[in-house]
Amino acid sequence: MTYFEVFGLPPKLQLDTAALEKSFYRLSREFHPDRFASKPAEEQAAATEKSSLLNDAYRTLRDPIRRTEYLLETEGVELEEQSVKATERARAAGEQKKQIVPPDLLEEAFELNMQLEELKMAKAGGDDDPQLRKDLEAAKANFTGLLHASQKQLEAEWTSWDAAVDTGDNGAKDAAKDEMVALLNRRSYLRNLVRDVHAALE
Amino acid sequence: MAYSDKVVDHYENPRNVGTLDKSSAEVGTGLVGAPECGDVMRLQIKVNPETQVIEDAKFKTFGCGSAIASSSLATEWVKGKTVAEALSISNTEIVKELALPPVKIHCSVLAEDAIRAAIGDWKKKNNVAEAEPALAGASA
Ligand code: FES
Repeated sequence: MTYFEVFGLPPKLQLDTAALEKSFYRLSREFHPDRFASKPAEEQAAATEKSSLLNDAYRTLRDPIRRTEYLLETEGVELEEQSVKATERARAAGEQKKQIVPPDLLEEAFELNMQLEELKMAKAGGDDDPQLRKDLEAAKANFTGLLHASQKQLEAEWTSWDAAVDTGDNGAKDAAKDEMVALLNRRSYLRNLVRDVHAALE
Repeated sequence: MAYSDKVVDHYENPRNVGTLDKSSAEVGTGLVGAPECGDVMRLQIKVNPETQVIEDAKFKTFGCGSAIASSSLATEWVKGKTVAEALSISNTEIVKELALPPVKIHCSVLAEDAIRAAIGDWKKKNNVAEAEPALAGASA
């Protein structure tokens, strides 16, 4: 049973989270262990299992990123496995692997990390470089903006995915899937950058 | 998490951290990232144009201990090898050498990608075809 099925939902990404919450509470009451206290052991065990599945399903689906990751997983997309396979193909062909993330983002990520390190070292040495700090503040704003933008783009792909589910258009489904994988990958860098820059500026 | 002794050793005394001149024709630069965790790694090689032997290698990694150890080890391994030989280094050898657990495999993959990317960059700069048949010793 998929997490979507737990809630009787189709495998779509646009989700009314308020309605999800309501169903969650309703189903939680239904499977509450107290209601099974006087029931045979198997029934109790089954109810416990259901309620833990329900909890996992709810926690996953209410979070937009985890929901997307979960859907991709149920669609057979293994982010890490794909990456390892791509490396193996590159080795067999004697080529370099195509990076899934645009090179300029990698470049920026690397540069920012260098600056962060500099700031940390300056701090450890007891002096604070105001210009560096200013640059980093700007970088933080920039990457936070990009992170939000990537979320918006992801939401746009949800619409495409949901529409393709309705029409049963497999080509469109695959296209949306690929886009979502690319966006999630990009996001993981942005998320780290925002986190690190934030920590360094504390 | 418990790291193996070799990982700890490379992590505490990383070999070959640093930078080579990116603009030099003899230097190849590979900048790669692991989308699983958002970590980034830069590995550079300096190649002798006559012999195609990698004479120097440097790295800089922003990532977990396993990624740092993998790239440190990778720079040690490529030094003294020909470009063709270096291309045959695989992440499974790195995993073995460092005794990395399954969750850390992607960190070693990153190091292999970095070697390959650095060599690719060097080849591009020097007009060597990407899939040029290996000169010697490459076991694909
Ligand atoms: S956890 Fe990211 S490279 Fe190791």
